[in-house]
This record gives sequence, C-alpha cells and structure tokens, in this order.
Amino acid sequence: MRDATPHPPPRSGPVGPDRRSFLGLAAAGLVAAGCAPPDTLLSARTPIHQWNLFAGGDGMRMIEMHEAYRAEHPGTDLSATTFEWGEPFYTKVAMGAAGGRGADIATVHVSRLESLAPGRLLDPIDPAELAEAGIDSSVFLPNVWEQCFFEGQLYAIPLDTHVLVQFHNLDVCRQAGLLDADDRLVPLEGLDTYLDALREIRAVTGAYGLSLDTWGPWSNFWALYRQQDGELLFGEDDYEWDEDKAMAAMEVLYRLSEEGLAPRVSQGADTSANLANGRAGLMIHGNWEMATLNAAGTPFSASQFPNLFGNHRTRGDSHCYVLPHRRDRSPARTRAALEYAAWMLRHSLTWAEGAGHIPAYRPVVESPEYDALHPQAEYREAAENVQFEPKAWFSGSAGRLQDEATGPLTGLHQGTQTPDEALEQLKRTFRTLIDVPSPV
Amino acid sequence: MTHSTTDSTRTVTGGAGDASHVVVDVRRRPTTWTGLWFVLPFLAFYLLFLVWPAIVGLGYSFTDRSLAGGPVSLVGLDNWNESLTDPALYDSLWNTLVFTLLSVPIMVLLALGLALLTDHARRLGWFLRLSFFAPFVLPVAVMALIWEWMYNPSLGLFNGVLGQIGLEGSQWLFSEDTAMFSVVIATAWWQVGFNYLLYLAAMQSIPKDVYEAASIDGAGAWQRVGRITLPMLSRTTVLITVLQLIGSLRVFEQVYLMTGGGPNFATRTIIQYIYDSGFVGLRIGLASSMAYIFMALVVVVSIAQFRFFAQKED
Amino acid sequence: MTTATRPPATSGASRVEVRTTARRRPAPGVIALYTVAALAALLWLVPLAWAIATSIKPEGETTAMPPTWFTANPTFEAYLNVLGRGDIVRWTANSLISTTLVTVLTLIVCVLAAYGFSRFDFRGRPWLFALIIGGILIPPQTLIVPQFVLMTQLGLVDTYWGIALPQVVAPVFVFILKRFFDAIPRDYEDAARMDGAGPVRVLWSVVLPLSRPILTAVGIFTFIGAWNNFLWPFLVTTAPEMMTLPVGLGTVMGGYGIQYAQVMASAVLGAVPLLVVFLLFQRHIVTGVAGAGIKG
Repeated sequence: MRDATPHPPPRSGPVGPDRRSFLGLAAAGLVAAGCAPPDTLLSARTPIHQWNLFAGGDGMRMIEMHEAYRAEHPGTDLSATTFEWGEPFYTKVAMGAAGGRGADIATVHVSRLESLAPGRLLDPIDPAELAEAGIDSSVFLPNVWEQCFFEGQLYAIPLDTHVLVQFHNLDVCRQAGLLDADDRLVPLEGLDTYLDALREIRAVTGAYGLSLDTWGPWSNFWALYRQQDGELLFGEDDYEWDEDKAMAAMEVLYRLSEEGLAPRVSQGADTSANLANGRAGLMIHGNWEMATLNAAGTPFSASQFPNLFGNHRTRGDSHCYVLPHRRDRSPARTRAALEYAAWMLRHSLTWAEGAGHIPAYRPVVESPEYDALHPQAEYREAAENVQFEPKAWFSGSAGRLQDEATGPLTGLHQGTQTPDEALEQLKRTFRTLIDVPSPV
Repeated sequence: MTHSTTDSTRTVTGGAGDASHVVVDVRRRPTTWTGLWFVLPFLAFYLLFLVWPAIVGLGYSFTDRSLAGGPVSLVGLDNWNESLTDPALYDSLWNTLVFTLLSVPIMVLLALGLALLTDHARRLGWFLRLSFFAPFVLPVAVMALIWEWMYNPSLGLFNGVLGQIGLEGSQWLFSEDTAMFSVVIATAWWQVGFNYLLYLAAMQSIPKDVYEAASIDGAGAWQRVGRITLPMLSRTTVLITVLQLIGSLRVFEQVYLMTGGGPNFATRTIIQYIYDSGFVGLRIGLASSMAYIFMALVVVVSIAQFRFFAQKED
Repeated sequence: MTTATRPPATSGASRVEVRTTARRRPAPGVIALYTVAALAALLWLVPLAWAIATSIKPEGETTAMPPTWFTANPTFEAYLNVLGRGDIVRWTANSLISTTLVTVLTLIVCVLAAYGFSRFDFRGRPWLFALIIGGILIPPQTLIVPQFVLMTQLGLVDTYWGIALPQVVAPVFVFILKRFFDAIPRDYEDAARMDGAGPVRVLWSVVLPLSRPILTAVGIFTFIGAWNNFLWPFLVTTAPEMMTLPVGLGTVMGGYGIQYAQVMASAVLGAVPLLVVFLLFQRHIVTGVAGAGIKG
C-alpha cells in the first residue's frame, strides 16, 4: 500500500477545471432542483399535460387535432405525450397517479376503468363542471355513457367507440359476385351463408376467404359469444358463463382455419397485408386498420361485424378521457383539462377520418359531414351494437384476460386444439385469474 | 500496479474492516463523537433509502398492499407461497441465469482478447481504446434503439448484409430461440469496455523487464503471452469474473428495452418480473416477496463467490 | 486505486519502449496484428456509424433494402425534427440537473463518511462500518418496490429530488475513499491542527487537495453512472417533462409510427453529451476504471 501514497498535487493539473465545473453544475442543479418544472413558472398560460397511447395512424390524427386546439387556445399550454400502447402506458398512468404528479388528463380504454382503481388512481369528474364545458349525458349513446361510471361516480368522458368491423377488398369481392351496385357487400346472414361466401371468395383469391388476427382471438370470440347473448360474469371467487354458446363461438374460429377459409397463423401486420394483397376478400379487424389499408392503396370498403348468430353485435371499446389522481389538483387546470376534452369531442370528425373510430359525441356522427365519410358511415350502427368486455379488474384492452385467453384460443386457428380442449383451457384461465387477489 | 490488482482483489475478498490496522496510530483521538458527525449525513441517506425500504419491503411481503392504494391487510405467507409456486418466477430466474451464463464468458474473454490486441498494437492505442470503450458511456436507451434498428428482421442492417451475401437472415429479437442471445451480443458490445480497461491496466503494469528477460531466453510473442501475460492476469480475471457475474445477475434494462421480456416471456428477467408484478400488476406485496427471494439468491451467490475465490487466493 | 494516483507518464514511457522494439523487428506478424486490431476497432464502431448514416438519410431512404451506407441526399431534417419537438433538450437538461445533484451529494456525504471512518474513533464505529459495507451486497434493484412506495409517501415522484436522493447511497465509494484517506500520512493534518484548524477545515484544506485524483475518479464515475442509470429514473419519473435522457428515449414515442431517421437522430443526440465528457476526460476515465478494481 506504500505506493498508494498520494503525491502532492501538481500545480497545473487538469483536475482544477473539473472540480470547478462540478461546483458550477452543482449550483445550477441545486437551484433548479428546488423549483417546479419551468413550464409552470415561465408562463402564465394554464398547462395541460395530456398522455395517450396513440402511436399508430390515429396518433397522427391526434397530433393534427392538438395542433388545431393549440391554435385556438393561446391561453393554455397543451403538452401531449404518447407512450407505447398497452401495459407500458397503463403502468405509467398508474405509477404517475400513485405519485400524484402525472398527467392532468389521459386517454384510456373505458374497459380499463376498473383496473385503474377509480377513486384512488383516478379522480372523479364533476358532471356539473363537465356540463359547464358543454358536455352532458345527452350527447352520448347510453351504452357508452354507462361504462364511464364506477360505483355511481363519473370517471370518464368517452371520445369514441372503436369496434371490430368487416373490411372487404372491392376487387376480390366484385369478382366473387358479392357486391351490389354501390360496392356494398350483399347481405350475408347466418353462419352457413357466410361460410359459403368465404368459399366463393377463396375460389377467387386462391388462398383465403377471410383474414383475421389469429393472435388476438379473444375479441373475435367475445363478439361471437355475445351475438348469441352469452353472458360472462366474474364474481369474487367464481364465474358464470354459458358453455354451449362458448363452444359454438369456438367452433366458428376452429372451422374457419380448419377449412382453410382463414389463415392458421396471422399476426400483426400480416392480417391487413392479406386483405391488401388480395389473399383474402374479407377481413375482420378493428376499424383503426383503415389507416393501414389507406396507406396500402387498397380499394376497400367496410361494414359491420358479420351477422353470424342473428345480429351484428361486435366487440368494442371506447377511448375516453380520465383524470389521473393528482396530489394538488388545481381547479383551474382541471377546468382547462375538461374544456380541452370537450373541444376534442366537438372536433372528433377528424378523429373519425383517419382511423375510422366512431365518435362518441353524437352531434358529430349525425352530421352531414360524417355522412360523407366513407366507409365510416357504413358501420356507424356498430356503436349501438358494441359489446364491452365483462367487468373485472383483469378485463379490457391490453388487459390480462385478453392476453391470457390468447393461448387457449389461438390453438383453434392453428389446429393444435379442438374446441373441447380450448374450452377446458379457457376455463382454467378464468379460474387462474379469479384466484389472483385483486390489486384494486 | 501488479500490487494494486492484488490489493484490490484482496479488498473484495477480505470484506469489511480489514484496512483499519493500517490507520491505528497513536495520533488518533480518543473516542469522541466527532467522527459520528462526519458519518451522519451518509448514514441518514443510507438508513432512509436503503435500510428502511429493505425493512418495510419485508413487511409488505406479508400484506396485500397495492400500488393503487386502498385498505391493506395481512395475508401471512400467501405472497411467499404464490411466488415460490409460480412457474413464471422460475422461468424468469432461468432466463436471468441463461443471460448470465452466456454473457459472463463472452464479456471476460472478449475483454481479454481486445486488451491483448491493444497492448500489442500500441501505436493504435488511443484509437483502440476509444473504439472499444466508447460504447460503455452510451445510455442504455441509445444502445437499445441502435441495436433494435440493426436487428430489425425486414429492414435492419444485419439481415440486409446477410441477404447480400446470400444467407438467410434471422428473426433476432423476435424469435424465442435467438432473442436472448441477440441481447447478449448487444450487451457485450456495449459493456465490454469496462472489463477491457481493467485488463489493459493490468497488462500495462506488468514490468517490462519480465518480457525482456523472456525475449532474451528466446520466447516468441505467443509464448510471452501464454507464459507471462496470462498467468500474471489471473487475479484480474478472477476479479472481472466476479464483478461480471454479479452484474449480469442484475440484468434488466437492456432486455426490457429491446424485447420487453418477449417474445412470449422468453427473455423476461427476474428484475422485470418483479417490476411486472409490482408496478404493472400493482401488487406491491407479491413483488416484495419476489424481490426478497431474488435478494437472498444474490447475497448467497456473492458470499459463496467471495469465499470460493478467497480460498483459491490463499 | 493505485492506478488512480500513478503519474500518467508510465504508459507513455512503455509505449516508447515498444515502439523501439517494433522498429527493430518489423515482422509480418506485427502487420497482421495491426490489421486485426484496426479491423476490430472499425467493427466496434459499426453500430454508431450505422446510426449516424441512418440519421442523415431522407426518411424515405432509410428502409431501402439492401441497406446502403451513404446517401446521395444527406439531410439534417431528422435532427431538426427531433430538436424541434424539444423533448430531447428538456430530457438532457433533466439529466444534467439530476446527475449533478447525485454527483455533488455523493461526493459530499461519501467524503465526509470516509473521513470520519478513517480518522476518528467513536462508539459503534466498526459496527457501523460493517453495516455500510454490507450494503454493497444488496442489489439496489431488489429495493425498487419499497423505494417507490417511499417516494409516493414523501411526494417525490416526478421530482428531481426523487430521481437523485436514492442514488446517493453508494457504500462502495465510502470504502474506496476511506482506503485512500487511510494511506495519507497524518503529518500534514497535524501541522494544520497545530495552527488551530478544526476537523472540517483540515479535511477541506489539507486532505481534499491531496485526494484530487480519487475525487475526480469517484466524481466521474458517479456522474456517468447516474447519467446512464435507467431503472430508478424510469420508475420515479412518469411525467415526460421530468424524465431523464435515457428514460425519455426509452419510453416516449414520437406519436406517428416509426421514422427511423428520426429515431437514430435522437439516439445520436442522446449519445453526444457523455461522448463529449468521455473525450474530455478520457485519461481520468481510463485510469479511474483501472483503479476501480476496488469496486466490489
């Protein structure tokens, strides 16, 4: 250790400046650290911090709308942030709310309301205050509005309804003789009719009739199950459902791939690509895929989810505004945030244009401008046929149920399991989820 | 310099307090409180941000505490039972182990090889040091963005180059079979610089006369490396291996950023699983029990390592 | 540690020596060695070079297959777009502020503690020292859950203090500094004490000037470590305007699908601050790492 004895410091070492610069930085740091974020200090404008999860085609529309909003509202300072869709976003919302300094307002799926612990991670919305901003129950469809409440309190303001719809490739369907004079799909009611049509389409494409996302099968299952009036109720330590109807829904998924009418594996971008490049004539997918199809230049139109069990019920959800908990919620910022939400609702025609979401604000949907939107206007009734997911903390978009049901159901498409086996597996999945103590 | 390596290794192996004999001298003041005042600020931080969380975390593990707040009740050993019987916990421990077993040899041997090159190609010294060490100072997110882009299966550099020479590309981060290995390669590029510099310093401290004596005895360059350099580096190698092993077991961020733990959880490490349980899943109690299980494993491994190498040293 | 104090001349001297040896025998082996070394170094630079090459392409060219290294139409548009959004500037400022806080506080508390352990005897000293050194064994990653809960209770989530404070606990530096102080002869301090200087003054005016190399090394490593720390800032910042550079780059999306030139431009911009620090302090960092063999 002798050689570790430090030598007296050289007079002209390069160490001098670093220490000084460290001290300089220190001073700057200490001053800044004590302050609130500069944006609240430097401007008299009311800040609104908005968080969302729109990273796709709808994200572009959101940016457009925000720019328009800013132009009209010089008195507020809107900063919007997009996080990665799904769990990364919801985790940030929850952690931010737990810390109490997160967003002023965030866009979430209404199906995730329960998982966000309304009352603790979410602050309630005062309907009177919302009414001051010009929004009340009368502008929404009741089915969506009902979803916005938890234990009698209002927590959400719906921006849209987004649903599974059926897209059709015009070229392919015309060749298959399935279009009417207005390029609308001829009515295909009931499972058998539908399968026949798919066979005709397959004869044209040489590949498939229908393209659908085999890696997100829960949504399709839920639509088919709900078309038969199937109920799914999750209780404290048990669940109730209708196995026969579940079987019938699973049979459909199974047959589609088994007969080769739909692919065995279709993941991510494949699903839309199959429709765009004419390997399938129909596609069941979320309305937001419209952006992708437009970008691909595909001649296409859309209609409601196919009627296989006597109606057009479809699986859907709603993007809605919520107020994540803040430890020092200021009335001025809350008011500004609600006014912002109201403005976005009134201007949600833009929201409908790009990604095909159905605005929740009825005056927009009933406007002549919306009528002129094609193919959005073709499926506007889907907003009435939307089927939200069962109420549970693990339910909803990017929730655990959706995620964990993929395993059992995707095997139906892959042909690795029969509906009987999938049913048993799905029951085990339900059981596992119920056994997890609820964190909210 | 050789001594310094020795000393530092001892330090690691010797543990606490062994240095005190050096400073016991007559001029030390008799027992006063002055020293405690000096220690107090650090102690305050230490107690508040390390000891206290460690204690309350253990407490949380016996409750159903949620990140969402709400009433908390004692649940006994439920969380511990759930953790210890959870296959996903063992999967994540296994993934962590796989990462460790892949990364440790690569990052030790690669560092050694690069340091040997630098030590011999001295006229390129600054350039080599710059190239090999520079990635170490990159923020992990930068490294992840760059490598994700190079690994991109349809648009990335790697598959592009492979395609040009007529080879079929890989799915890299998008296949359960290759994802972890792809992360290891990126990690090696990013972090090997630290080990490399440790090796380089050790090599450059080997007295030149030892080499000269060997040269006079007719030893060639390879023989000098094999007979002098490598044996004299053995302590450094032990040190680097120990540090790398402990570091690799704690892996989280580059894996999380590059794969998110996927595909199909094939790369989810234990730290991510703790994060997933506590923050994504909101279950503070459950995540705490997992954290303690992992902490216990790391402490046991660390102590075992130190003892093992301490014995070897003696 | 020794290395940290070693006069830098040594490596220069040995370099000269090798040069003469090489001149004496310009063997083909040497040429091969240099070729391999140069190729390895170039290979190591490929990721950074590719990031830069991508970032100056027009967005439409980035996805061309097979990939090309050079674009006929280089543009800084991606950089302007990224900088124009302002996020990255904000994140860099946040990193600078929180990292400076961590570095300054770490230096202060660790130096004080190390000096206290090195020079004074007090009741419970061995016990306390063992407690603190034992902390080296505990992976901080395993404490994230209770630490975050503590931050919510203290109201420090999404604040600079929240980012910085838990990172100040660095037992390993107490250990390193104490060993360094132990090796400093008391004579200087005694002289100062004779002149009536109190313990703090002795530390400040006698011990610290003698400790510059180790302080520089600890300072630089704390700075790099805190700047690049991901997990803790990732947890404790949820608001984008409070995020540090690594966290912001890793979590916030552009919001309009993926534009690779912009992604790479932000990566390059994110790399710049520490690369500059590295180039400025290369010698300190290199000797610092060598001395960090002590890092347990």
